[in-house]
Amino acid sequence: MISLLILAFTGVALFEVPALIQKKYWRELIVFSLFLLLAFVLALLQTIGVDIPSPLRGIGYVVKDLLHLNYK
Amino acid sequence: MKLEKGEISSSQLMLLTIAFIQGATLVLAFTYGITKHDTWLVVLSGFVISVPFILVYIALAQKFPGKNLVQINEIVYGTYVGILISGLYLFFFFYIAAANVRYIGDFFLTYIMPDTPMIAILVVFIFICALAVRSGIEVIARCSFFLVLITTAIIMLTFVLLLKDMQLTNFLPVFETPLMDFVQGTHIIVAIPFCELLVFLMVIPYCNKIKQAKSSVLLGLIMGVATFITVAFQDVAILGGLVSNMVLPSFASLYYIDIGQFLTRMEIFFAVTLFVTQFLKVSILYYAAVLGTAQLFNLRSYVPLVLPMGIICISLAIALANSTAEHAYLGINIWPIHTILYEFFLPLLTLLIAKIRGLPQKKGGTS
Repeated sequence: MISLLILAFTGVALFEVPALIQKKYWRELIVFSLFLLLAFVLALLQTIGVDIPSPLRGIGYVVKDLLHLNYK
Repeated sequence: MKLEKGEISSSQLMLLTIAFIQGATLVLAFTYGITKHDTWLVVLSGFVISVPFILVYIALAQKFPGKNLVQINEIVYGTYVGILISGLYLFFFFYIAAANVRYIGDFFLTYIMPDTPMIAILVVFIFICALAVRSGIEVIARCSFFLVLITTAIIMLTFVLLLKDMQLTNFLPVFETPLMDFVQGTHIIVAIPFCELLVFLMVIPYCNKIKQAKSSVLLGLIMGVATFITVAFQDVAILGGLVSNMVLPSFASLYYIDIGQFLTRMEIFFAVTLFVTQFLKVSILYYAAVLGTAQLFNLRSYVPLVLPMGIICISLAIALANSTAEHAYLGINIWPIHTILYEFFLPLLTLLIAKIRGLPQKKGGTS
């Protein structure tokens, strides 16, 4: 499963990176790598079964338990 | 440096607006549980309430022609606060995209392919959207014509085929809903489908005739609302009291199509409309998030960010909630309150500050 994931991410990197290097878009390359790293970490955590905290539940906590503004 | 070189015409803007509103037919399922058979009234009142806010968004877009939301924030609030507010907005757009992708996954899992893992559906769906976003807003706008034609035709066709099964007594008694429920239903309708038109602040700048943007967005809104009311009317007239018990009443009402035992099982048509309109809606939101992020980081091209953000979108969509029920609970009771900040408060504040500071300055200055 994890090897499949690594394969998919390598595919994405191979798809985007050569064009960026050819055009000398270094800044774009850095931002792209950061986002891809974030995506990889998230996907890896989900694959090995770690629960990622949902932002929706965080919003729910703020609205419901701190501000008491929710309906019902 | 201009990131997006494409241009869209005002009629394409209108079609995008229609598709964007139609894409939220699923949200009707949220309101059915609260306002039951008065839902069509809720849609009407939601439309009336959302018009002023949409006028605010269009006023913002016309005050800063050729500038999208990220650039407007930077001009109005200055660099640092501007980046903070733009970041909040981009996360908001990205979040809505993920939630819509999640709805698609939930829908397919519940009704059409119960044994498929959700990730398979999401990956395929995001792949199509990524393809559209990579091609730019012009391509999305061009395919909108054909796709809106399909969905509108299907909605009309199913409405006509269902006419013989409709019972108008299902609408009685009118105005029986308690006031608080009515307010909540209206708030959901205003916050989720209609005022999400805020995202068009990222699209309107690429319209070639900015003067006509107002009429085309409003016309698109009216036509979108017309289909919305058609669907709400059809569901209540067919299902009656059942409407509040169904997970997806718009889908279930199409079970009733039966013309001479020959034309039956038409409900898959609803899946087609859903998929098509959600594709356009997610594409616009995804496009806005990617384009805004690229502008925030001062990039020369937004294309490299499309795939990584798509993958994050899938992860987010799966992590959003444990179950459909939890997602629906949070969507009904929490999310509308949270959107007040983005959809009602911040645009008004931006417009007020722009008025007070006399922006955009005509000569010299930052513009």
